[in-house]
Amino acid sequence: MTTEAQAAPREYRWRMPANWWTRNRHYFLYVVREFTVVPIALWLLWLLVEIKRAGDGPARYSPHGSAAFVVFSVITLVFALYHSYTFLSLAGVIIHFKVLDRPLPSRLIVLAQFALWAVASVVVGFVLIWFAR
Amino acid sequence: MADKRITIQATRYDPDKDERPRLQSYEIPFSDDSMVVLDALNYIKSEVDGSLSYRWSCRMGICGSCGMMVNGTPKLTCNAFLRDYWPRPVVVEPLNNFPVIRDLVIDMDDFMHKLKAIKPWIIRRQEIPLGAGEHRQTNEQIDDFRQFSQCINCMLCYAACPVYGLNNEFLGPAAIALARRYNLDSRDQGLKQRLPVIADNEGVWECSFVGECSVVCPKGVDPAKAIQQTKLDTTMRFVLPYGNRD
Repeated sequence: MTTEAQAAPREYRWRMPANWWTRNRHYFLYVVREFTVVPIALWLLWLLVEIKRAGDGPARYSPHGSAAFVVFSVITLVFALYHSYTFLSLAGVIIHFKVLDRPLPSRLIVLAQFALWAVASVVVGFVLIWFAR
Repeated sequence: MADKRITIQATRYDPDKDERPRLQSYEIPFSDDSMVVLDALNYIKSEVDGSLSYRWSCRMGICGSCGMMVNGTPKLTCNAFLRDYWPRPVVVEPLNNFPVIRDLVIDMDDFMHKLKAIKPWIIRRQEIPLGAGEHRQTNEQIDDFRQFSQCINCMLCYAACPVYGLNNEFLGPAAIALARRYNLDSRDQGLKQRLPVIADNEGVWECSFVGECSVVCPKGVDPAKAIQQTKLDTTMRFVLPYGNRD
């Protein structure tokens, strides 16, 4: 390198502000969507603990049913529904099918996803109630 | 109407003098409802302060040069009408997520390198001789990629993408949309050459589907769709038997 070599021009390095997700409604909803998995993951971990305890036999098993846990479960349910809603709505963007050389409308794909979700919920609910009898 | 005025607050940054960018206010005549932000900048440049630096070229939303942050949103300034902001001031800043060279001018080298990495041109294993005639496509084959071919490289999607803002190793929305444009082209045979770049950790898998790239795209390209569809396709190639074929 010679002494005549020119220094690179000084640029201002842009930095993402810590509150970037509050600056735009879409960013906020995105962060909420991503955050919903945290309580869902915690609730599922607790479910694993409950299953492990149930394995110890009916005599020693008493499901956790405090008011705080019920409130947490309801909040988790709301988060799970929101996450599922956003996931299935976006599926119409992602999935691309062609029928008779024509792309299937994304609205039809989304509706099919929601219909499958409803059927799966009914089947799971039926199985749970059947075994709980 | 002749007395109507509007305040433009434009970013000023002189790398030889300033530590960081600052806003400078200009009050200019808002003489015509068809005036856009770029017209306001051009008025400032020619009538008020000739030292203001910014990029522009076609003034009709084709060249993609005049992208800037207008009141915090990435916009083509030739397509941002002052009437939509008046009487509030209009804050014009350089595109987010890029280094600032001077005033409203950003350094686009990173984007240009990423664009080159996905090889945005038709790749053939063996070129067809010119004498063999044109390579015909049906309307349906063109429809497969037409939307993604509308990209004008304006980089608004990069300015809107928080994933790129937090990690500029991410290949980014426009580059992936253009890669998909060529991968879907029936004349192209370059998928295997692009896959190592687009299916890399810093390729499609870095995207967490914020979706703002598609919201700000002035040409309706929908890069978020291109990225998610590429995720699905690369997964299918991996999972399905014979999925790794060309």
